[in-house]
Amino acid sequence: MKMAGQRSKKITKFLLWAILIFVAVIQIFPLIWLLDFSLANSTEMFTSGLLVIPEKIQWGNYVKAFVDGHFLLYLKNSVLINGLAVLLVILVSIMAAFACRRMRWKLSMFVKTLLLMGMMIPIHATLLPNYKIYNMLGLTDTIWALLIPYVAFSLPQGLFLMTSFMESVPVELEEAAVMDGCGIYRIIFQIIMPMLKSSIATVAIMTFLNNWNEFIMASTYLSSPKWKTLPFSVLEFTGQYSSNYAVQFAVMALTAAPAVIVYVILNKHITKGVAMGAVKG
Amino acid sequence: MKKLYSNKLVILSLVLPGLLLFVFAILAPICLSVYYGFTDYSGMGSYSVTGFENYRELMHDTAFWTSLRNSLFLAIGFICIQHPLAIVVAAVLDKLGGRGENFFRCVYFIPNVISVAVIAYLWKFIYNPDFGLLNNIIKAFGGKGDVNWFSTDTAIWAVLIVLIWHGFGWGMLIYYTGIKNIDQVLYEAAAIDGADQKTTFFRITLPLMKPVIQVNVTMAVISALKQMETVYLLTNGGPGNSTQFAANYLYQQAFKAFRYGYGNAIGVVFIVICLAATVILNKVFEDRDERKVRRLSGRREEKAA
Repeated sequence: MKMAGQRSKKITKFLLWAILIFVAVIQIFPLIWLLDFSLANSTEMFTSGLLVIPEKIQWGNYVKAFVDGHFLLYLKNSVLINGLAVLLVILVSIMAAFACRRMRWKLSMFVKTLLLMGMMIPIHATLLPNYKIYNMLGLTDTIWALLIPYVAFSLPQGLFLMTSFMESVPVELEEAAVMDGCGIYRIIFQIIMPMLKSSIATVAIMTFLNNWNEFIMASTYLSSPKWKTLPFSVLEFTGQYSSNYAVQFAVMALTAAPAVIVYVILNKHITKGVAMGAVKG
Repeated sequence: MKKLYSNKLVILSLVLPGLLLFVFAILAPICLSVYYGFTDYSGMGSYSVTGFENYRELMHDTAFWTSLRNSLFLAIGFICIQHPLAIVVAAVLDKLGGRGENFFRCVYFIPNVISVAVIAYLWKFIYNPDFGLLNNIIKAFGGKGDVNWFSTDTAIWAVLIVLIWHGFGWGMLIYYTGIKNIDQVLYEAAAIDGADQKTTFFRITLPLMKPVIQVNVTMAVISALKQMETVYLLTNGGPGNSTQFAANYLYQQAFKAFRYGYGNAIGVVFIVICLAATVILNKVFEDRDERKVRRLSGRREEKAA
């Protein structure tokens, strides 16, 4: 009896692993295929096997991708724009959350609802009119053309998370601070902010994930390479090297790399942040 | 304290940045869209106000209706294929424990951090009829492997598969978190009562996951409506309009067909549909829960009486 129980336990364990590995293969194999072909010669790709073993590993593909894909410039732009967007979202959403949640005024609910409405508006419907507006104001092809919509469309989620996290901060703490003669700004930035560290991390991660891979706004509002972001390495390459598939694979692998590497390093924090943000949202 | 907390000037300074952003990036564009939606503006030169002409045309525009039908198709695909898979895998993963659990969770999420631009082009190659991975897999299993995945009938499925693959880790992670939040005591009690794995899953895990499932279903429907980036790069709505989506269609109309006014009219209708869908979904889920609460509390009152 006992032995049978142990055996069925082993079978269950085996089945669990089998299912999980099968799903993992489906999720990861396309990426392995991408890496494999990015190191091959374009003519080697026309095989009937699933993977190729390149006769000579073609590092040159990556050199071409790195140089002609403007990798460094676009990476720098992506990091700068997304970093600024994250900072601004955190700052603006904490301030608005405190005003709507803690302070006493008649329109607080209305303003909060209004700002949260942004969550329901599809970004894509604003592409056409925003293009017109930025054109009129001379903002196209500047960093503002990306920064403004990135912050504006991440703000509702940030505000939502901040207000719900702020409820866990005890009011007594603020009362004590007020007794000591603290102003509102000092209360927000010196008392509330340090207590919301993990929530700030959540908002930062969600904002970053939302905007890092964005390209449709960028390709609508930008025309010169000055502020273009990482996805453009891929978008521009398909025209330039339309027949050299291996180089296209290399540029795809290269542009995907930064996010994947950062994710693998920080995966515990990121999964925690996403889980917290998504379950609340 | 009270005086400090109702200082109008301070309040204004705190909400002003957010409000300005909302007005400038969301409200003003919508107003402008409503205006241009009433014109025959091509994007350049002069134009005239045509009233509801664009909206009248939109009602009879088969491409637009196709795009709504495609959104519905995606939503059903997400809810009937992606989410059940995600729940089951999350439940299986929850049972694993140890280092393997973290490893798989990490692996499943990786596609999510990769740019849509890379994903779309990668899958374009995977579907490639000459050296694509998918046809090669079919060949490896002895098939002919000359399927044209982007034909009129199959293209929408091709899009669905990419989206399911790309978003799987996200859905899985949320269900996984939901399962982790379930009180272990319930499982122990079930085990003592002699419930097997299947019963436990259907009687404990699933019912307790209801709020998470509701959030995820809402998100699935909204993201199906808002689909654009993947389709834009993968098929750009083609062949014909068989994989068209509202967002992609309005973009094409404005910037490719030079019908900026018409594109804006589509945008306005699109916004209304998104708002309506969100409100309806929230109402449906809320109502049902509230009714249940009311019914239960009603019963209790009856008993008390």
